[in-house]
Amino acid sequence: MASKFGMASGIPERRVRPIWDAIDSRQFKNALKLSATLLSKHPKSPYALALKGLILERMGKFDEALSVCLTAKDMLFSSASILIDDLTLSTLQIVFQRLDHLDVATSCYEYACGKFPNNVELMMGLFNCYVREYSFVKQQQIAMKMYKIVGEERFLLWAVCSFQLQVFCGSGEDKLLLLAEGLLKKHIATHNLHEPEALSVYISLLEYQSKFGDALEILSGKLGSLIVIEVDKLRIQGRLLARAGDYILAADIFERVLELCPDDWECFQNYLSCLIGDNSYWSKGAQNNSIHLPNSGDCKNLHLTEEMFDSRISRASDFALKLAEKASSDSIRCPYLASIEIEKMKLIYGRGDMDKLIEVMIQYFCRFGHLPCFASDVKMFLEVLTRDKKNELLEKLVESCGALVTEPKKLLGQSITVFKVRELIGDMCTLPATDIEGFAVEMVDIYCKNLPLSKDLDIQESVHGEDLLSMACNILVQLFWRTNHIGYMLEAIMILEFGLTIRRHVSQYKILLLHLYSHWCALPLAYDWYKSLDVKNILLETVSHHILPQMLMYPLWNDLGDLLKDYLKFMDDHFRESADLTFLAYRHRNYSKVIEFVQFKERLQRSSQYLLAKIEEPILHLKQNADSIEKEETVLENLKCGTHFLELSSEIGSKSLTFNEDMQLRPWWTPTYDKNYLLGPFKGVSYCPRESTQTQIKQMEANALKTIERRSLVPRMIYLSIQSAALSIKDNIEANGSLPEHQVPSELRILLERYANILGFSFHDAINMVSNVQSGHNSSEAVSPNLIELMNFSVFYNAWILSSHEKGASLGEKNKSSSWQLVNSFLERQIVEKVRSMRSLLSTPCSDLPVVIQMVTEPLAWHILVIQSFVRSSLPTGKKKKKGGATEHSNSQLSHEIRDSILLVYSVIEQVITWLKEQLQKSVDEGLDMILSSLTTKETNEGPGRVFHVIETCVASASHTELGDRISGALRCWDPAGVGRKLISGQSTVLSEFLIICESKIKSLQTLKLQV
Amino acid sequence: MSTIRRFCCNDLLRFASVNLDHLTETFNMSFYMTYLARWPDYFHVAESPGNQVMGYIMGKVEGEGESWHGHVTAVTVAPEYRRQQLAKKLMNLLEDISDKIDKAYFVDLFVRASNIPAIKMYEKLEYVIYRRVLRYYSGEEDALDMRKALSRDVEKKSVVPLKRPVTPDELEYD
Repeated sequence: MASKFGMASGIPERRVRPIWDAIDSRQFKNALKLSATLLSKHPKSPYALALKGLILERMGKFDEALSVCLTAKDMLFSSASILIDDLTLSTLQIVFQRLDHLDVATSCYEYACGKFPNNVELMMGLFNCYVREYSFVKQQQIAMKMYKIVGEERFLLWAVCSFQLQVFCGSGEDKLLLLAEGLLKKHIATHNLHEPEALSVYISLLEYQSKFGDALEILSGKLGSLIVIEVDKLRIQGRLLARAGDYILAADIFERVLELCPDDWECFQNYLSCLIGDNSYWSKGAQNNSIHLPNSGDCKNLHLTEEMFDSRISRASDFALKLAEKASSDSIRCPYLASIEIEKMKLIYGRGDMDKLIEVMIQYFCRFGHLPCFASDVKMFLEVLTRDKKNELLEKLVESCGALVTEPKKLLGQSITVFKVRELIGDMCTLPATDIEGFAVEMVDIYCKNLPLSKDLDIQESVHGEDLLSMACNILVQLFWRTNHIGYMLEAIMILEFGLTIRRHVSQYKILLLHLYSHWCALPLAYDWYKSLDVKNILLETVSHHILPQMLMYPLWNDLGDLLKDYLKFMDDHFRESADLTFLAYRHRNYSKVIEFVQFKERLQRSSQYLLAKIEEPILHLKQNADSIEKEETVLENLKCGTHFLELSSEIGSKSLTFNEDMQLRPWWTPTYDKNYLLGPFKGVSYCPRESTQTQIKQMEANALKTIERRSLVPRMIYLSIQSAALSIKDNIEANGSLPEHQVPSELRILLERYANILGFSFHDAINMVSNVQSGHNSSEAVSPNLIELMNFSVFYNAWILSSHEKGASLGEKNKSSSWQLVNSFLERQIVEKVRSMRSLLSTPCSDLPVVIQMVTEPLAWHILVIQSFVRSSLPTGKKKKKGGATEHSNSQLSHEIRDSILLVYSVIEQVITWLKEQLQKSVDEGLDMILSSLTTKETNEGPGRVFHVIETCVASASHTELGDRISGALRCWDPAGVGRKLISGQSTVLSEFLIICESKIKSLQTLKLQV
Repeated sequence: MSTIRRFCCNDLLRFASVNLDHLTETFNMSFYMTYLARWPDYFHVAESPGNQVMGYIMGKVEGEGESWHGHVTAVTVAPEYRRQQLAKKLMNLLEDISDKIDKAYFVDLFVRASNIPAIKMYEKLEYVIYRRVLRYYSGEEDALDMRKALSRDVEKKSVVPLKRPVTPDELEYD
């Protein structure tokens, strides 16, 4: 910042320097003092005022800052003789931008550019303003003006990028690209191009328009020399040739690339697809999906005769062989993997066989089977094998394991690989429980026996065999899924905790653990492990899904608040600074990054998680303040009574959301954040989770859209429900709100309809659904997939009835009870049923507790708000006149219903409290004994405890000499009882937090009871 | 085995498995994007056959006169892809770009003095300890400034180790 001073507004540098120094060192008071002195000497200087505005903004005095800067702006605009310099403008720009008044900053620059039409420095400032506003057309116009004035290549490229942005990110038509191409051509004819990035923009422009021949010509001409690294040029050339359909020439080029970079797998795939002329591969435009699996068929699909196919494939084989011979070390795997790819292609096009494919895979195993990435290398090839052949491969892998290897580390690596392939093949689902339990025992045993290999490793380095514990955990979780025996669940936790005792930095274990603890209602522990992952910055977007959905269901509201706040702050900060970074790319002439940055920002803005967090944060505030209607109204007021979110809900359908969550690290039992296999029964052999992950991801994406759409309605519905309850007291015409009386019920009715529609019901179907469950015509299971949503619906519906004139009629013919009775008994029945059926958290990991928490903190809380609103409005105030007659009668009937509602809700919460207290009073030691006893090995040699026994034996027999200081020291710290205690204490924290919430609700209901 | 290409913004959404490693810092967005905006040639990612991010390198080129050099800001590889010389490939790429495109004199990097495995790896890649920077990491741990001379530094003057350690204030570049 200190570099900013200069001779702005004719003020000498020495007078400005101390002010900037004070700002830089955050001595704002001092800076303000100095600025006052400066202003006394230069009262008419916009720069001096702008500086004052900047200081005020930094001090958090936003209104004052804005007012000062607006005065400075007025001065600039009014004084005809005054000099306008970029320093004044950029200082003003900083303040206006921070105060979210980009338009004012732009108008300053527009004015200045109008006054000094040929000043390129000012025009660059204006261009920057348009970049910040994402005004692509204006960007292009000002860039063209600058280009015309000075004829510099960079300004032309700024204009070209602005054309591209109009097409890619705006509503501009493709013909704009033709215009951009023309401009470039003309420039090249007279000035040539001097920047490699300019060339790459030119080529991308041509490629986008499918002018591959033109692009190739340019690349092979003089301009091509701008690309210094030969292989980079070859890659572009190969791609262009292939996209132009000249596969043979492209294959020649890719051969040259592979000779230079023999380990480039994507290039090999490009090469092979060119050789066999696979149109489908290249028609996608970009070959960025390297798991390319063409539809099976014969080589005629490729427009090749069998002979041609054979000869092309044989060329590929010879070339791969040549590359393999030349490969000097085992760090080059591509030529070997290539031979598997070739066999796969032969198989797909009816010219190969599975035995040969298995054979080359075994060869690959013998060479690279010890590497941790072997399984992921060959994953794509397993997909083309039949189940029998997969099993055959597995048998051969087991036979080959250790056949040619003697080195213990490699032997260990191969054993791990075999287990990984077994996991990939999915036969774990089909084998009997005792068999897979045996694998888990074996895995942990191998891990323990090989610990001496890690004796001399630095703590930073992975312990050999770390994957074994994750795989054993997966098996134990599956055993829990099958048997519902908590011992397996505990054992899974134990081995991961054991692994983290030996080395505390294994993120894979932490993620598995956090899901296990979440599932077992020990959310504080899950959250602790999540925090230990140090998820920050962009990882908040990709990794938060491991914890956020659970946190939304549990009562750790402060932690949830922090999580949401940090995430939203990160995203909003990025949106604020993104344009400046885009301008940085412009300035440094890295034009390809310009488009990328703008598209990336748009991608993040459409992030489903971001939009969900945006709505969940205010809903959290509403939950936190729901016991006091006054506080709730303040929250709602800050949310503009929920109107903003209504807009979001309406727009969301037309937005294409992005899903940036990294799902790869999720455990199999919860492949997406809205799916948890452990909540449902084990469905047997036909149910192999991993295979359907993609379908589930698609389903999750569709659900996410509906969730955001639905949740965005909630704040407004709460607001309208409060209003509606107030309106139901007939003499309270002027309800506390800005809406005219008649609009409340009509708007609420529309929203109820929308809410029901999002759930897949019509308005009346939703009411019938609720009333049928309440009257016993339908079982509770019928509503369980949408339980919380239907409860919310019934609460808002009741509130709507209060002010609408459709009482009773909407309830359906079967049900004659009032809407109060409907909602009361619906809430009561669902909550009490759940509470009565819940057993202790320790003995039932799949507890209904999160559902009960949600029922109490959402629908029940909103219902209490409706009651509060009603009671508040019915209380006599000094101003109100008592009215008699029919109105009084109907109000008194309502008051009865209100009284009944309060008593009922009170009793429901009391029952929840009783259950919570019972749970909290249980002895920790007894609980600990209970869970640890589940790990005691039985005589039958079956059931949980066998894996745990391996760990216990390992710890008991640990030799300091074999394991070294660090590992033997860690083993001495191993404390399984401590793990159990932590689990119990984590669950207790959840129960206590929920108890506090319930007790607070009881208190507010007590007050209401007294008021009625 | 990998495909090494320029890092792009979307890779930021795919590198979780690499960055969850406790020694890999996840910087703020403006840090990554400044590197992408200014030195895109120095920011590369390696992808596996299954399209997963195996690791990446980020760096820059800076300095004046004979101090004009490439700098490795971060190089990291996911646990699954370690011990395959991937870091070496990424480092060689950055050295190549510093050498051929930018005609730099040397490449340097900073490493925690306690990170012995990393120091050993850099030594294998022909980096030498040029100097020690006292309390460089959060005012606590020392850094080692390691360098490798490029073809332009014919006499290898840039890598002659300094006799005394320096303090962070004395560093020419951040």
